[in-house]
Amino acid sequence: MSGPTPEVSAPSAIEVRELSKRYGSVQRGVLALDRVNLRVPHGTVFGLMGPNGAGKTTLIKVLTGISDITAGEASVAGFDVRRESMKVRARIGWVAAEVILDDDFSGWENLWLQSKLQNLNDWQERALDLLKYFSLDDRKDDKVSQYSTGMRKKLEIALALLHQPSVIFMDEPTIGLDVATRRMLWDIVTGIHKEFGVTVLLTTHYIEEADALCERIGIIDQGRIIAEGTPNELKARVRADLVVLETRNGFDPGLITPLPGVQEARPQGNEWTIRVASAEQFLPKLLQAVPPEEVRRISVEKPSLETVFLDLTGRRIGQEEPMRDIRRFYVQMRRARR
Amino acid sequence: MRSQFWGLFVREILRTFRNPFVLLMTIVQPFMWLAFFGSSFGNLSKVELQALFPGAQSYIEFLLPGVLSTSMLSVGMFGSMSTIQDKRFGFMKRILITPTSKQVIFLSKALGSASRGLVQIPVMVAAAYAFGVRFSLTPMEWLTWVAALLCLAIGFASLFLAITAPSTDWQTPGVVANFITMPLMFASSSMFTTSQFPSWMQAIARVNPISFSALLGRSFVLGTATDWTYLGYLTAFALAMLLLGYAVSARWLKVE
Repeated sequence: MSGPTPEVSAPSAIEVRELSKRYGSVQRGVLALDRVNLRVPHGTVFGLMGPNGAGKTTLIKVLTGISDITAGEASVAGFDVRRESMKVRARIGWVAAEVILDDDFSGWENLWLQSKLQNLNDWQERALDLLKYFSLDDRKDDKVSQYSTGMRKKLEIALALLHQPSVIFMDEPTIGLDVATRRMLWDIVTGIHKEFGVTVLLTTHYIEEADALCERIGIIDQGRIIAEGTPNELKARVRADLVVLETRNGFDPGLITPLPGVQEARPQGNEWTIRVASAEQFLPKLLQAVPPEEVRRISVEKPSLETVFLDLTGRRIGQEEPMRDIRRFYVQMRRARR
Repeated sequence: MRSQFWGLFVREILRTFRNPFVLLMTIVQPFMWLAFFGSSFGNLSKVELQALFPGAQSYIEFLLPGVLSTSMLSVGMFGSMSTIQDKRFGFMKRILITPTSKQVIFLSKALGSASRGLVQIPVMVAAAYAFGVRFSLTPMEWLTWVAALLCLAIGFASLFLAITAPSTDWQTPGVVANFITMPLMFASSSMFTTSQFPSWMQAIARVNPISFSALLGRSFVLGTATDWTYLGYLTAFALAMLLLGYAVSARWLKVE
């Protein structure tokens, strides 16, 4: 079983119990989510942090009713996502990783369409308030194809808020954005959470984003929630410094493990992740023990969400397939220009 | 459900009128048929014309109801393409993460693209008039003709949407169009009388909804006797295809 089992108490904004999602057959398919348990309290900004392919987007698809559940249960805003899908969808908002708007429509017409899809009657005042909040009111009649990326993202968030949802899902909301727009979006996420009292579940593989925005974080890897808590709680789990040693060739592990202060030493190829009580006290001993010509690189990491992930999985969040992210970024940019 | 349907239906219509290229494509193709194919029998003598196309003053007059009928096939293709575009660009997800069902999406696409197809009627009628065809239809006959074409458009739009529901590939509507358009267009009364057809093609033409619509429209344009049961067949075709599409999209409409 992965992650902590939720206690039975007042319904949370999101509750997930033993949730599994498999794409394809049992023999050949992929288990994208593996018995996930999760509770997101009302009114929190909850971050789901993990590398590409960890299962973040799949979890959002399942919770928003886009994908079926293979096994387990999930409820959002107090309603079962499988049996009461329409009630769930009337109470959630969604902000996509890639900006998805109708480019043939103006900002106001996009809001009109959203009001129809959400079956709202008195939506105009709320829509105007949202446009003012996001400083889009003077451009509301322009086609969204003429908007900047930041403006499109803001409009997408306004669409997600139009029907006063209790939960908003944001799937990698800042992927592919420049630094300034990303910062702006962080302010918006914090702002809407305070202003509209909405629960936010966002996914990210940017550690600094999770750290800056989220009150609670679930770390997901290979379809399993491997840790959950506040950023400080997660960092406190490590209670150690990590020394990463890269050597030119493989060498006898017997050299490292007996050194004083070593809690654990994990090899991955020629790279060693060594958990020590204090990096400052350990490093001189390490340099005495390992032949200098063998050392290619040594780095020290103090407790951070990055080291939490490294400590839990032996890998870094952004370690694998960097090209995948770049391809995704270009796909997004092409779509944004259309 | 009404609110969601109206939003998506209006979106379909507005998108067409804001995309001049799609509008142009919808109109130009049948116009070309009328101008080039319609003129191909321009040198027939009156006797030959009456032998091949009984009751018609020109081949264009005979062809117009047929071309309008076959052009409703392209309506289905454009409806499918618009659905695949929504899947590819993620808009289908945006719609479905609201209390909107897949069936409502299907209905809005089918009826939206069918309505779009009706734009062809005034354009084609005006073109035929420019080619010398004169009309003496009663308002009831005009209405019935439009209703017949609307039924045909709804039927084909629904059929295309049902077949392409599980697909996200741009090329699927084109492939499906080739499989459906050619046999249905030629094995029908849309361009010729069926008396010269081999028996197997006549068999197809007898149950082909394009024939019903072409014959009904032709009876109005040429002022010959009208078989009103054709309207019944076309209504049944539209309803059956709507039901098929409704059921298929609930189960197989792919989101992305």
